[in-house]
Amino acid sequence: MTTSGAFRERLFGAWVEIRENLGRSILQALGVLLGVASVLGGFSISDSQRKRADQMFVKMGGLDKLNIQPKAAVRDGQPTALQQANLGLRDADAIGGEALKADAIQGVSRQKNARSRVVSAYGDQDRQISGIGGDFIPANGYAVAQGRGFSATEMDTGAPVVILGTEAAQTFFPKGDAVGQTLRIGAIPVTVIGAFEERVFRFREGQRNQFWWRNRIIAVPANLVQRRMNGDAYRRVDRVSFRIPDMAVMGAFAKQLSDLVKANHRLQEDFRLDDVAARIRRRNSQGDVYDIIFMLSGVLALVGGGIVNVNIQMAGLKERVREVGVKMALGASGREIFKGFMTEALLLTALGSLAGLVLGIGFSWIITKSLGIPLYMTPASFVWAYGLAAAFGFLFALYPAWKASRLSPMEALRYE
Amino acid sequence: MSTIIQTEGLTKVYGANGAAVHALRGIDLTVGKGEFVALIGPSGSGKSTLMAILGCLDLPSTGTYTLDGHQVQGLSGGELARIRNEKVGFVFQSYNLLPKASIVRNVELPMLYAGVGRRERRERAMALLEKVGIADKADKLPGTLSGGQKQRVAVARALANEPALLLADEPTGALDSKTGAEVLDLFRELHRQGNTLLLVTHDPSIAAQAERRVEIRDGLIALTEGVA
Repeated sequence: MTTSGAFRERLFGAWVEIRENLGRSILQALGVLLGVASVLGGFSISDSQRKRADQMFVKMGGLDKLNIQPKAAVRDGQPTALQQANLGLRDADAIGGEALKADAIQGVSRQKNARSRVVSAYGDQDRQISGIGGDFIPANGYAVAQGRGFSATEMDTGAPVVILGTEAAQTFFPKGDAVGQTLRIGAIPVTVIGAFEERVFRFREGQRNQFWWRNRIIAVPANLVQRRMNGDAYRRVDRVSFRIPDMAVMGAFAKQLSDLVKANHRLQEDFRLDDVAARIRRRNSQGDVYDIIFMLSGVLALVGGGIVNVNIQMAGLKERVREVGVKMALGASGREIFKGFMTEALLLTALGSLAGLVLGIGFSWIITKSLGIPLYMTPASFVWAYGLAAAFGFLFALYPAWKASRLSPMEALRYE
Repeated sequence: MSTIIQTEGLTKVYGANGAAVHALRGIDLTVGKGEFVALIGPSGSGKSTLMAILGCLDLPSTGTYTLDGHQVQGLSGGELARIRNEKVGFVFQSYNLLPKASIVRNVELPMLYAGVGRRERRERAMALLEKVGIADKADKLPGTLSGGQKQRVAVARALANEPALLLADEPTGALDSKTGAEVLDLFRELHRQGNTLLLVTHDPSIAAQAERRVEIRDGLIALTEGVA
């Protein structure tokens, strides 16, 4: 049969049938079209949102960070009594941690924060001071726009130098000539040696800058905070970050680090480990929920469309009983009739799906545009949308086609 | 002379037990190759049932039927379809052309089911249309043709797979007497060329055109006249 181009003939016949019954065919294709559009649209919107979030994390300085912070005092500099007794998170933890996997760790940064009065000729505010060490600046997505960064000597000695975020620079030196000026942090005069680039990230267009608070940074060497502002004899720190680009190493390292720090802290878990990648995974799995909801709504549309299709096809079959009878009299087997009806239904599904894909693209474009996020579509969404439509199209075509193939040729011929 | 149709004790019962209708009550019929037989009888006589069984559209309840050397009783739906396709050419009263397919496609259809290649299909269909004298209408739709022309297309289609048996069910029933006569002329011509024809009709004047008349009454062969 296949050698005679029977498939092509069936396809042609199906096309003629669809064209001749345009109204009915459009109705039939509509369910598929909406289903495909809703699956594709839903997936694309959730993909776009996710992509945007990934971009945000990249801008935050990458996904490859493992942070360790004191448990009870994550934001505030004051160690608890327990932490006092257990010595707390300190330089030794950072150094010990780095030694564990020296080859995999690309950078370690420390943070020692303080709150202090900050005074310039133009401003006088109580501000957070970030004492930074190691490769904090690149690891957190900062870049020096004017002046220079800290030198190794300045870091080591805790020199009285400061780099300001754009908001801080604007607040304390509104004339825009911050670099080279002097600022007083508490009682210590520090020299402004640089200014950071402005950090901007808007999740959607027109939304407020989600990184605005990063521009408030007043960065000094961690050693300056430890030695002259908020330090103690144990050289406690507020946060240590390890940068590990190899995600496979991350998990094992986190475990080892946890064990090491716990041993250092007299077996007290007075610290909190978190890796950014785990947060991403959590967020992604949240996205999965939306994917399932979108897929479900698409599937429901396809099922609804499928049931409508069965109805239309059964009604259409009544008009075509005689045609089936004639074909059977001419030698078409039930199988051949079945194939003919299936071809018709599947061709209709294919055409409806194509239209649905186009509609889905338009739909996603409009939604993402109105949300103000860039449209991002993955081939997987297309495959899912098309695959689901094909599967349901096939499933719902089976019954009418089977029904047609089971007609008795004689009764079908006599049918009026 | 080899036989095309041979039936023995053919019966057909519709329904069950109490409400059973005995449409055929034991038909013994033999039709030889190249014969032109008319099957006559009033409506309700069982001639339509007999025609359906002879055309392999239906199976007998009991009895045997051999068509061109093939046992028909007991065949599956698929096998019956194959026999219909290869051995039987149907011509119906209401033409039964597919309205959405062109004339030439209608004629090609039986060859499509037989697995004949595209090119050969087209060539043979055109030759057949030539034979019945409407090759110029090949690309038209059936709706644009007159009744006589439609019946010619149906004849061409029936001949597509060179069937052993040409089965015509009231082929002139829907035509006026002039075109009806033309179609009968066509049948006589086909008979002259060696085709085996079975013509089902209730009209004695049409049946008179055949070599042999077989009359069915109450599910039995009532009378046979002409050369056997």
